[in-house]
Amino acid sequence: MTTEELTPRAPTARIGWQLIKNQRLRYGINAMLWMSIWVMPVIPALLTRAFFDRIDPASTNPVGFTVPTLIALMLGYGFARLGVMVTGMWTDVHFMFRTGTQLRRNMLARVFEMPGAQAVERSAGEAISRFREDVDEVEESLSWTVDLMGLTVFSAVAMAVMLSIDTRVTLFVFAPTVGVVYIAAQARKRIRRYREAARIATGQITEALGETFGAVQSIKVAGAEAPMIEHFRGLNDVRRSAMVRDRVLTAMLESAFWNTVNIGTGLILIVGARNMASGEFTVGDFAVFTYFLTFVSDAVFVLGLFIARFQQAGISFGRMIALLRGAPPLTLAAGHELYLTGEVFDPAESLPAVEPLDELRVEGLSFTYPDSTAGIADVDLVVPGGSFTVVTGKVGSGKTTLLRAILGLVDAHEGTIRWNGEAVDDPAGFFVPPRSAYTPQVPRLFSMSLRDNLLMGRPELEERLDSAIRSAVMGPDLEEMPEGLDTMVGPLGVRLSGGQVQRSAAARMFVRDPEVLVFDDLSSALDVETERILWDRLFAERAGVTSLVVSHRRPALQRADQIVVMEGGRVAATGTLEELLETSEEFRALWKGEVG
Amino acid sequence: MIPVRAYWRLLSEYLRPQRRRVVLLSALLVTGIAFQAINPQLIRGFLDRASGDADLSVLLSLAGGFMVLAVGHQVLTVISTYLAEQVGWTATNEMRARLADHVLHLDMGFHKTTNPGSLIERIDGDVTTMSNFFSKFMIYIVANLILILTVLALLWREAVEVGIGLTLFAVGAMLMMFRVQKFAMPWWKKVRARSAEFHGFVAEQLGGTEDVRANGAVPYMMFRFTTIVRAWLPEAVRARMGFAALWGTGIVSYIVGMGLVFWLGWRMVGDGRLTIGSVYLIFHYTDMIRHPMDQIREQMGDLQKAGAGIERVQELFARTSNLDTTGRLRLPEGPLSLAFENLSFAYEDDASTGELVLQDVDVAIGADRVVGVLGRTGSGKSTLARLLTRLYDPIEGNLRVGGVSLRDADIDDLRSRVGMVTQEVQLFRATVRDNMTFFDTTIADERLWEVLFDLGLGDWVAGLPDALDTVLEAGGSGLSAGQAQLLALARIFLRDPGLVILDEASSRLDPATEVLIERAVGRLLQARTGVIIAHRLATVERADDILILEGGRVVEFGERAALAADPDSRLSRLLETGMEDVLA
Repeated sequence: MTTEELTPRAPTARIGWQLIKNQRLRYGINAMLWMSIWVMPVIPALLTRAFFDRIDPASTNPVGFTVPTLIALMLGYGFARLGVMVTGMWTDVHFMFRTGTQLRRNMLARVFEMPGAQAVERSAGEAISRFREDVDEVEESLSWTVDLMGLTVFSAVAMAVMLSIDTRVTLFVFAPTVGVVYIAAQARKRIRRYREAARIATGQITEALGETFGAVQSIKVAGAEAPMIEHFRGLNDVRRSAMVRDRVLTAMLESAFWNTVNIGTGLILIVGARNMASGEFTVGDFAVFTYFLTFVSDAVFVLGLFIARFQQAGISFGRMIALLRGAPPLTLAAGHELYLTGEVFDPAESLPAVEPLDELRVEGLSFTYPDSTAGIADVDLVVPGGSFTVVTGKVGSGKTTLLRAILGLVDAHEGTIRWNGEAVDDPAGFFVPPRSAYTPQVPRLFSMSLRDNLLMGRPELEERLDSAIRSAVMGPDLEEMPEGLDTMVGPLGVRLSGGQVQRSAAARMFVRDPEVLVFDDLSSALDVETERILWDRLFAERAGVTSLVVSHRRPALQRADQIVVMEGGRVAATGTLEELLETSEEFRALWKGEVG
Repeated sequence: MIPVRAYWRLLSEYLRPQRRRVVLLSALLVTGIAFQAINPQLIRGFLDRASGDADLSVLLSLAGGFMVLAVGHQVLTVISTYLAEQVGWTATNEMRARLADHVLHLDMGFHKTTNPGSLIERIDGDVTTMSNFFSKFMIYIVANLILILTVLALLWREAVEVGIGLTLFAVGAMLMMFRVQKFAMPWWKKVRARSAEFHGFVAEQLGGTEDVRANGAVPYMMFRFTTIVRAWLPEAVRARMGFAALWGTGIVSYIVGMGLVFWLGWRMVGDGRLTIGSVYLIFHYTDMIRHPMDQIREQMGDLQKAGAGIERVQELFARTSNLDTTGRLRLPEGPLSLAFENLSFAYEDDASTGELVLQDVDVAIGADRVVGVLGRTGSGKSTLARLLTRLYDPIEGNLRVGGVSLRDADIDDLRSRVGMVTQEVQLFRATVRDNMTFFDTTIADERLWEVLFDLGLGDWVAGLPDALDTVLEAGGSGLSAGQAQLLALARIFLRDPGLVILDEASSRLDPATEVLIERAVGRLLQARTGVIIAHRLATVERADDILILEGGRVVEFGERAALAADPDSRLSRLLETGMEDVLA
């Protein structure tokens, strides 16, 4: 659980550039504004110099402006910068928010594109940190690029001013900054490593919290609060060390930069000492030099931090790309419409035209879970249209995997699936309503009203709700609910019992009225009676629909037109109940077990 | 204004154990401040001498002294950062742990209505902003405030007008910042709540990809994504404008400060009351307190977030469990008897109607008996189990286990003596060992193997790829439902309870695995009281007594053999015609 390979190196610059290109105009305006914001401080430097030269009795270069004029100019400068800054903040937040939303949207879209049962490699809690911290990291890094540009221009202007005042002092003063650039380069690898460690530690903490509160009932019943918290403390300690190391290194870098300012200021004093006595280097010049020194070193410092940030963004990109699982890295930054303002898109998807099912044929279907031997191998299966096909077998015999492989919820390695004889290229995209719908073994409902959970964005199906609820034997449950269909369903549907969740999921499927209904073991939370009623209603009210069902219960087996017995990931036998009772040892054992 | 007192109240408890570090940290900060305050005096000396005919070696030693103090200050800063981060993370880790512990002990009503994703945000996200609070508060705010005060004192020394002018300036600038930060605070709070909502949404989606994909709901979920971010954008903009307002106060205070220095310097050099070096000193100090003020201002932005976080953390700490857990009575050793005394129950959380789920249940079950509970879905069977494990308290009547009323029982003792296996076994992405022990590292492997072999599961676990070290996938997805059940049985066997509740424990299993489970259950129920909640008659065959529930009421209770022999009993009708006809 603690071992983790370093996330892959990401083409940070290319992805970043794509993100900028997505909002060319906004980024351009933002860059202009922020350049102004950073370059404007040249003005008070020059005003300060003019002030000191004006009041210094020893000054050799008096200027035209009186002190009250200088004060007025200073105030004017301030309010101008204020205005530019507020506008810049406005464009920047828009740019950042859109960038972040783009990344989040693309990740979520990709998660939905992956085979449903393998969409997230690790736990959801851990993946969440990619949506949160990693996106924030990238947002900020990109927003920094405009600051960087501004500081670069400012530094150039400042250098020009200083060189015009005193070339020798300027060169002396900025010698130490070379050292800073060197230190920044040295610190790069280390920063990358520390950041990665801190991120992993944080990911483990969010994961642990997510799992803990997802399993709160088990923990309470087991009285296991104390060891769980102890475990959590352990993870927290790991993060503490990682974070402290990271922060101290950052502080050291920061100090190194400030020391260049300090040493530089000292050098101005030493080198300028002789010229000051002669009046060639005035107090005004000294003020300008120290002022610019701070700013220019700050620019170098920001550059150094930016390099670090850039690396961190690289780490974050790497982690986000890992979530994309094999999609080209630029997918992450692809510019899709976000609908943040104006019209929202219509979620009612354009439904594919559907040929009624005559026959669903599976040939040589194989799949093995990564890092495991579990799976299915070389499965052949024919599901005639309108039939009731039951898949049965022992635990671990591959029943669920078979359904998943057919529906594209796992990515089958080999085999063909044919719908009315035609090979299906992309099962995951193909097996959706109105072709098929699916109830997993442990169905999930989402935090929204029960109605929305059943319709899931298909308001035009509202009229089918009543019949779907009836078919799913949900009527009595619904009567008990405080607000009927408008009842909000809690996190992971825990406000409902397991059976209620399962029946809701069945209703969700019925509402879609697909050609093929796929159930993975309805019996897991339904009592036999409810399950029997459900099958009865299915046969009475939805005659003609094709059903593909995992079950080991008699009510289902007795109704089956065809039973497929799975054993060790392979089809052990296929036939009717009578046939199998005669021919299949495996099936007889299962059937007898069911008698109990 | 930062609610410093609220922070302090919350944090001081966690800082106390680290008193020495905090003292050392303070000492380092004060020394650093002194270095910073002395340095401009050296420059003034330099400038005043340089325009005259001073000895070059004096000038060079002043410049050298300046560099030594400046670099020394940076070294102190790094050490302070180390200390502050250590103290901050140690303190907030303690807070995280206590908060997680507190939340874990809240009643199920709370958990039913709270999304785990939003708890992550509150326990980790909000508390993390508080850990920043500590280190930043010490280094940037407290240290900088002291620096500003020191500098002001030194300015008073120069001239009274300078002291008055710049003190007024500093006070005005700070007041302005506080005011701005106060009105921007609610905006930050809102944007954080929206972020929590968003990440709760994403967490759900990540957990339900199969449901979403296979039912064609991807466009709809993307639509919901859009709905949330559309509401989020204007809030993010407003929150940022609050930040812009804060920065704006920094700019304004800078130009006002410079204007003041120009004016004072112009008048007082004209009068001959100040040297040019002294004007530079005032200029430098004014510029110098601008940096700390800027830093304070900058940290305010972060601290605003922490302020929003602290309120939410306090809110969470202030939530109390509906269950009174002050009882201290221990349950007797051995098998436990059960007595439901006129018990009625209704769920009383926001999600429920308040209807009675159990009504006037009045049943006594002897120790060491196994009772089978039958009834349709929704008849109150699972609720009975939740009351026995005291996830809830009855609203009327009383429940005794081993003769002790559960309200008076020590809750930890109760939970260690009552074991429950529910149908949906919740597993962690961790090793089999950690899943069995709930991360309790004090349990030796020998004990685990002993339990596993005792239950007949030893060969099964030994056959897993890394035996006890096999890491289960998130949500136990590497295991079948039946295997998860087996682990759940091992979990409770490990604690040697006196009462075992099996809630629909066998309904999802295929028959072959069920044999393994039946064997384990048989072993588990030896010399223990058992409550088996089942949908199938087969699973209650081992029961001594049968209890049949209908609509929350007990419609039949008695010895199984007697009921089976009585042709008028519901049980015998059930046995005759199958469960469906009687219970429908």
